[in-house]
Amino acid sequence: MNRSPAQLSAAVTVFVVYILLAGCASAPVEKPRLQRENLQAVNFSGSWEMDYSLSDSTQEKLDVMARDLNRQAQRRAQSEGRRRPVGAEMMVRNTAGPNSGSSVLGLARMADLITQSPLLEIHQDTHKISVKREEDFSLTCEFYPGEMHKVETPFGTEICGWNGHQLVFELRLPEGLSIQHIITMGAAGQKLLIATTVVSSQVSFPFSLNRVYNRFEPGESGFQCQETLTRGRVCTTESR
Amino acid sequence: MYDRIALMLSQAQRVVSVAGMVLCVAVLMVAGTDSAASTQQSGLVDVGLVVFDPGIPADQSTHSQRGIFPDIRKAEAKYMPVVLRQVLIESGDWGVVRVLPEVLDSSELLVTGIILQSDGLRLQLRINARDASGVEWLNRVYSGSTRSTDYPASVPGDPYLGLYQQIADDLAAVLRQKNAKQLTTIQDIALMRYAIQLAPTVFGSYLTQTPEGRYVLVRFPAEGDPMLARVIRIRNQEYLFIDTVDEQYERLSEEMAPTYNLWRQYGAEQAIYQGEYQERVASRGAQGRRGSFTALEQSYNTYKWSKIHEQDLVELALGFNNEVAPTVMDVSGAVVELSGTLDSQYSEWRDILQRIFTLETGLPPAS
Repeated sequence: MNRSPAQLSAAVTVFVVYILLAGCASAPVEKPRLQRENLQAVNFSGSWEMDYSLSDSTQEKLDVMARDLNRQAQRRAQSEGRRRPVGAEMMVRNTAGPNSGSSVLGLARMADLITQSPLLEIHQDTHKISVKREEDFSLTCEFYPGEMHKVETPFGTEICGWNGHQLVFELRLPEGLSIQHIITMGAAGQKLLIATTVVSSQVSFPFSLNRVYNRFEPGESGFQCQETLTRGRVCTTESR
Repeated sequence: MYDRIALMLSQAQRVVSVAGMVLCVAVLMVAGTDSAASTQQSGLVDVGLVVFDPGIPADQSTHSQRGIFPDIRKAEAKYMPVVLRQVLIESGDWGVVRVLPEVLDSSELLVTGIILQSDGLRLQLRINARDASGVEWLNRVYSGSTRSTDYPASVPGDPYLGLYQQIADDLAAVLRQKNAKQLTTIQDIALMRYAIQLAPTVFGSYLTQTPEGRYVLVRFPAEGDPMLARVIRIRNQEYLFIDTVDEQYERLSEEMAPTYNLWRQYGAEQAIYQGEYQERVASRGAQGRRGSFTALEQSYNTYKWSKIHEQDLVELALGFNNEVAPTVMDVSGAVVELSGTLDSQYSEWRDILQRIFTLETGLPPAS
């Protein structure tokens, strides 16, 4: 298949943007330091749809992780004079316990579950951002100088803030589960990367998934609608 | 000869000038003389209810944590005094009860309030009442809570009617401790405070203020005093304006009531649900082995649903604002317009009275 120079150039650009974005966000093992001054660096507002071709495949990531864990276990076994890894060290064993197959698989399924939203609607103003995720709760954060946004509830703790040009959401939940979303915007403002890292106290490696989103303009319906309390969704034909 | 002519001309000019002023004031006030009933005629104390302080913390970062929706609070601050007004009127203990956009110092009894907490389950208000002499009648926090049977709230009606009733009862209790003379003195002081604002040179010596801020009546103008009669007519005219402002608040209250009641009902249901949800979660054990997908999913979903319910309330607040904001803006605009008209009218009245006083007494105008 012959491609025109313009198509090739576009493909290369997309690839470079992806690599850059992924590079920014795929080193999440090191905890991002949230800035206390809380100055907004980027405006993420807009509608975004997932680009499956640029987003990570959970299965591939899981395979990589399984290989890494096995390799690590083998190295440890060799250094201890054993020929093969034993017991809980051997990740592929489908038993309970730390780094067991079911724990790693659980972590990967969890990461997949919480990064499934195909559409995002982001509203951002001077003091807050709301990332509406289809089929999930909205990620929200408030920005006030000198204070990190932290919400503690009986069900978990949320911390969010800026790390340079990236917006970081951290969620600490019971069962030793913690989730981190790092949102980065592409240089042209048309792509969004959400790097999600899931950590479980039962798996020694974090599991990360990168989801890439493309900006899109929601179709003009010719109606202007708003929610009301007594009449539900009310639409008029007034132009915006 | 020419001097006498000049003097006669000057006197005639003065008479014409005074007559013109009097006519001007009379024309200005003719409507107010009858329609706005004077408080002293009825013997009942008039009440001024200032639009409540919405109690929104200046630190915006605390709003979401404390469950405060500023736009809703601002609407509530205009809504609640109208409910209290209705309760006071129905008690029959009071003269005219008006909702005021701001403090009117010359009110016979001035009631102010701060909203400390307001949601579908609980209402907490700090209410202060002070009469024209500066004596505090009331300064306490009122709390009310609702039960599920209070919803859906009927219109007219309010799930916190008991709280407003308690305020009215407490005010009435203080009222009953006052004898007729004390009440008349309060009314006279209120009138003098108003007169001093209009013509300080004329009425300034009728009142004194103690170091504690209390007003004491030193003397009172003679019956039939023309200057006092003008002041009373101007005050009645001002009341006409205030009554128009008051009607705006009543309109807001009527239009807002169905939406506001629904908002409080949803808020109460949400809060009850959250409480029950917390109890359910606390009582159920972990479903899967620690670290398993089932356990992780349970932990995530528990958080997810608590967030979804919390965020529903934010969506409802948005729905409330979408529905009520146009009326609030409309009423606020009308109030600002009326208050602006009143301010300019008031300044005109002050000027006219000052000129009449100068012409009548020959004294130089107050600086």
